[in-house]
Amino acid sequence: MDVNHLTDKQPMYDIAIIGGGVTGLAAAMYAGRMKLNTVLIGYPPGGVIATTDWIENYPGFISLSGKELADKILAHAKEYEVDMVFDEATEITRDGRCFTVNTAFDEYRAKTVLFATGTRYRKLPVPGADTFEGKGVQFCGLCDGPMFQDKAVAVVGGGDSAAKEALILAQWARQIYVVIRGDQLKAEPVNLERVKKTEKITLVFNTNVTSIEGNPGIEKIVLDQPFEGKKELAVKGVFIAIGSLPLSQLAVRLGVKTNEKGEILINRQTETNIPGVFAAGDVTDTQFKQAITGVAEGVTAAYQAYRYLGGEFVCTCVDDDYLDCPAAPEDLRGRTE
Amino acid sequence: MSEVPEDIEETVVQRFKEELKDPVKLVFFTQEMECPFCAQTHKLLETVVKLSDKITFEVVNFAKDKEKAEQLGIEKIPALAILGKKDYGLRMFGIPSGYEFQTLIEGIVFASTGNSELSPKAEEALRKVATKPVKIQIFVIPTCPVCPVLGAMAFQFAIASSNISVDIVEIAEFPHLAIKYDVIGTPKAVLNEKVQFEGLVPPGQFLTYIQQAAQGSPTGISPTI
Repeated sequence: MDVNHLTDKQPMYDIAIIGGGVTGLAAAMYAGRMKLNTVLIGYPPGGVIATTDWIENYPGFISLSGKELADKILAHAKEYEVDMVFDEATEITRDGRCFTVNTAFDEYRAKTVLFATGTRYRKLPVPGADTFEGKGVQFCGLCDGPMFQDKAVAVVGGGDSAAKEALILAQWARQIYVVIRGDQLKAEPVNLERVKKTEKITLVFNTNVTSIEGNPGIEKIVLDQPFEGKKELAVKGVFIAIGSLPLSQLAVRLGVKTNEKGEILINRQTETNIPGVFAAGDVTDTQFKQAITGVAEGVTAAYQAYRYLGGEFVCTCVDDDYLDCPAAPEDLRGRTE
Repeated sequence: MSEVPEDIEETVVQRFKEELKDPVKLVFFTQEMECPFCAQTHKLLETVVKLSDKITFEVVNFAKDKEKAEQLGIEKIPALAILGKKDYGLRMFGIPSGYEFQTLIEGIVFASTGNSELSPKAEEALRKVATKPVKIQIFVIPTCPVCPVLGAMAFQFAIASSNISVDIVEIAEFPHLAIKYDVIGTPKAVLNEKVQFEGLVPPGQFLTYIQQAAQGSPTGISPTI
């Protein structure tokens, strides 16, 4: 595990990147390339994407696992002088134009902060979900699927994540019910086709789970609509894939503005309402949340931090007539609290 | 997996070359009539040993050499003790295949360097809470991509504190332990048979569990991922 060797004398970093997922790692790589004195603070390394079995929409890689992708970007970032602290940031405060980031054990000072904190899984708000969490109510098919060998399980959710979770579980489970609130499975077409071809996956439309029951382990889920004449499905596990919640609490406490969903508001330059504070990836209010868009935002944020700090970035294109690399950051400093 | 894929092998060779410091001894416990996973683990470890001249390999007959098994705290097979300049208490039970291959590599590197890579303040905090022996069992499966994160962190604590020992257990090979410890999701950690949690936790929270285990107070399960 990469935790840098810290001394009592801490440096003033140019940028503190909060988040260890692909967005933060890509930002760290770019910040390192631009010679910014960079610290990345995040846990777990690789972020949530590491629990994805396969990724087929990241340009340049026809198919690879989420962990492979994260490991590749991590290895790339390590090619530059970047301090990496795989721990959770517990508090971030502002002192004039600078920021202090605390973890459970240490403190880091930086001139700019980039929130790449991502999201966490949304929990199912029904009786039994809390009681059985970790005891049959799970969030990672890849991590826990083998424990349900030859058993019936349910996946709750109607998006691409639910489709992929069902396909992962099909490697082990005997029967997978996908319980969908709406009237369709809104998955990527390629995954939808795979689901349709997998006989052991059954789609249950227009239905909500109202409770998860059993003693001592899960025995069934109760539905608000009958399915094949019954309002119960006998399952041993329930995998939740109903979306995610932005991890923006630290940013909010710092005064960063968010929308009604708790997503950090950014402009196209990834600036927030606070000068020197940037945000990128799934934690922001961008609509299309993908690894590739997060990575793109992360590197944009690293560049904007560089400009904010007054760096003189020399683009290879600077002498070309058709593309200019503006050096003046004033137009990007316009946003204030 | 009983062999190391070529691309991974190159990466591991390079990492061993750059990071291994002191010799590492892999002590593998099996038996004459090897169980299926014993044979696969044996083959895998033989491959790993060839990746650095700083790694040596000893095969111990679990059934016959009870003294050695007892000395290293081995009570089931296949089992691996990763020994560095001293015994840091790093153990793996079951085949370290799939994502768990990464945990094996981390264990070898930690045992060789003897460096926990924790910050001085984190080491100090660990010293304060690990006042009594704490045995950390981490239950994993080879398909779990986040399990090596928790395993490596536990190894760090074991390197930093002689009161910490770590057993990484591939739970599919030991179904009776899955029942005993109610393992439904991975990773799951059980500390001193009393404190348990499921999922990934950051280092600070892990230390709280170590403190509770050292003090003998039980806790529930706190999944985070």
